[in-house]
Amino acid sequence: MADFTLKEINTLEYVRPEIDKGYTDQSLHINLTSKEIKINLIDKKVKDKFIGGKGYDLWFMWNAVSGKTKWNDPANAICIASGPLGGTPGYPGGGKSIVTTISPLTGIPIDSNVGGYFGPYTKFSGFDVLALTGKSDKEIVVLIDGIDSKIKLYEVSGLTNDSYTLSAQLTDYFDKEKPVNISVVSTGSAAKNTELGCLNFTWFDAKRKRVRYKQAGRGGIGTVFAHKNIKAVVTRWGSVSMKSNNPADFDALKNVTKLHAGEINTLDPKQNRMALVGTTHLVPIMNDHDCLPVNNFKYGQHPEAHNIGEAVYEHIFDKGFDGCWRGCAVACAHGVKDFVPFTGPYKGQKVFVDGPEYETVAGCGSNLGIFDPFFILEMNFYCDTYGLDTISIGTGIAFVMECFEMGLITKEHTGGMDLSFGNRLNALELLHQMVRGEGFGMIVGKGIRKMKAIFAKDFGAEAAIMQDIGMESKGLEFSEYMTKESLAQQGGYGMALKGPQHDEAWLIFLDMVHNFMPTFENKAEALHWFPMFRTWFGLCGLCKLPWNDIVPEDNRQNPEPAKVVKHVGWYADFFSSVTGRKVSPDDLIPMSEAVYNFQRLFNLKMGYGTREHDTLPYRAVGPVTVDEYLSRAERYDKDLTENYKVDITGMEVAEKVAVLRKHREARYEQLKDAVYKRRGWTPNGIPTVETVKRLGIDFHDVMELLKSHGVC
Amino acid sequence: MITVGDKEIEWHEGMTIRDMLNMLEHTQFCAAVRLNGKLVSSPFFETKEIPDKSVIYLLPLIAGG
Ligand code: SF4
Repeated sequence: MADFTLKEINTLEYVRPEIDKGYTDQSLHINLTSKEIKINLIDKKVKDKFIGGKGYDLWFMWNAVSGKTKWNDPANAICIASGPLGGTPGYPGGGKSIVTTISPLTGIPIDSNVGGYFGPYTKFSGFDVLALTGKSDKEIVVLIDGIDSKIKLYEVSGLTNDSYTLSAQLTDYFDKEKPVNISVVSTGSAAKNTELGCLNFTWFDAKRKRVRYKQAGRGGIGTVFAHKNIKAVVTRWGSVSMKSNNPADFDALKNVTKLHAGEINTLDPKQNRMALVGTTHLVPIMNDHDCLPVNNFKYGQHPEAHNIGEAVYEHIFDKGFDGCWRGCAVACAHGVKDFVPFTGPYKGQKVFVDGPEYETVAGCGSNLGIFDPFFILEMNFYCDTYGLDTISIGTGIAFVMECFEMGLITKEHTGGMDLSFGNRLNALELLHQMVRGEGFGMIVGKGIRKMKAIFAKDFGAEAAIMQDIGMESKGLEFSEYMTKESLAQQGGYGMALKGPQHDEAWLIFLDMVHNFMPTFENKAEALHWFPMFRTWFGLCGLCKLPWNDIVPEDNRQNPEPAKVVKHVGWYADFFSSVTGRKVSPDDLIPMSEAVYNFQRLFNLKMGYGTREHDTLPYRAVGPVTVDEYLSRAERYDKDLTENYKVDITGMEVAEKVAVLRKHREARYEQLKDAVYKRRGWTPNGIPTVETVKRLGIDFHDVMELLKSHGVC
Repeated sequence: MITVGDKEIEWHEGMTIRDMLNMLEHTQFCAAVRLNGKLVSSPFFETKEIPDKSVIYLLPLIAGG
């Protein structure tokens, strides 16, 4: 089948360590420039402080890069780790990988939590973390073969660039007999030409007999991967059982796994039905609550939204078990078979599409003013196979479409393309241009922050309005939730370490719908606890969804139902049973706090990580334009009169827009003050000496860094 | 009679989702329910009438992606 050649250029045989209570205590380092392969032991102090997963990734990256390292410097590292609990079959969400690198979009560490079998297989092969540094002169494939205890580097030629086909070919090549033993990480052909490259992580779906994919989407990790000339990293491992992690207390692990999986099996069909519809149930709920991004986050609702929600996708998704980790009872990683694209190189061919999830539906659908479920499938398919992040693509094209409709850019700049909202064909054409490395798509592929600069400098577009409507913060495109009416979620996005991605804090409903956090202090408390607890999943190699998307029936009787306290208890038991380190629910937050603050310090090291970088475009805070104000005039009038005590009699709408803006922007700054204080940071958003000492991250270089910023 | 989760509740003509929630405890964080398999979100709780013999599940607090 394969018309490509792999030439072995370096091999390291190693002795595979037994897993000890979820850990191998080894790291694998591959320098792509020198082709050197090194295995190091992980220090106990590092283990105790950084736990695993994202914690390990950040620690090894911190040591690999200097404050001056740019994303495309060979020194930049891509780190991939699961975590001590990762690789537990049957525990819902028990097998994720966490990837980090210095992002081309933000210049700071980006982290992505992704499904597929790669992280667990790599751990079982002997490595808690993989660090890839350097830059290869030729395209390279890395094989981590845990079955034969060998690491191999290959030069490759003739292998396709399309991520889907490439992964399928390598799966077949490395274990034709048992493809389920293989997991491949790759990107696609657009990653090299853009800064929005994603990574596809695979697993083999034995029932459907095909390779399936999950994406480490955010922040251009695929772009770094492609720039290093890595074609793929493949891991090979054999059987997996609940004993593979060699847990400290097997019976306790079995017990807690049974409880959590059993609850999901019983309750998911009664609650969100994720095993049938994935996360597409969120589309109608967000739309009904005015939170679904429509036309570049201008509106939160559209009458056609029901065309792209669960009611439609339930019938389009291919039926079957869809866990992106073995035995995950949530099984929400759905796909569509026999989809036939109507554009591009796969036009007229039947393909399998992995997805879409809510973010792709909202980003590549409603936010572009497009309510066609099949168009979204095509965007999903081409983004994945070209190696592009559907969120940045969706939010980026939405920005372009609004600029086009406002006349900030014209056909003269877009190569003759009409890029107004709703133009399906031209949205797809932008993706195809990114692969071909030509046309206006190349500018779109740079992300919103750079587009704003190009539109202003080269096309004469007004910078101030683009600043307001360009939905990026720290350089990263927003994920797909409307935050105008939720101050807490504005904080959840604006103060997220890597940029506006909802996986740190998702507080819209608690704040906006339930008014659960009326004061700044309440919001600050939530913006402490939730980011810390969500970070914990990334340390341990877990998926967050089983925590709070299916909840116990008596959860609503708890005074703080958002925390799903019963599940937090189960996670503490899960951690104790695998690692043997007895923890209570209260111990989980301090574990994350150390890593969370360390990541903030990492941002500081890279030249960011202070208050001025936690800013938001005004579109995330309130109505930018008069028609936006008028679309919800009653709400905004009420906000002015009741909350800010403004007499609006006789005011023009433009004046109301300006006054409301002044108040809402001031309110966001007040929130920052409260959150920084709660997190133990200075008013400039830097962890204080007291905080870093309390958390035990007062390493010499951290203290020097603080000193250089006047924090003593 | 209607079924809400594992509870049976007396039904009356014109009963809305809000009426049903008012008959239960601890429903302040309910933003969506599944009424006979279909989603109904909180903006429609006051107006959506429940047919007799309906099966309803309260959805967990919406948690985002
Ligand atoms: S909950 Fe969904 S995304 Fe998470 S591990 Fe399970 S199948 Fe994958």
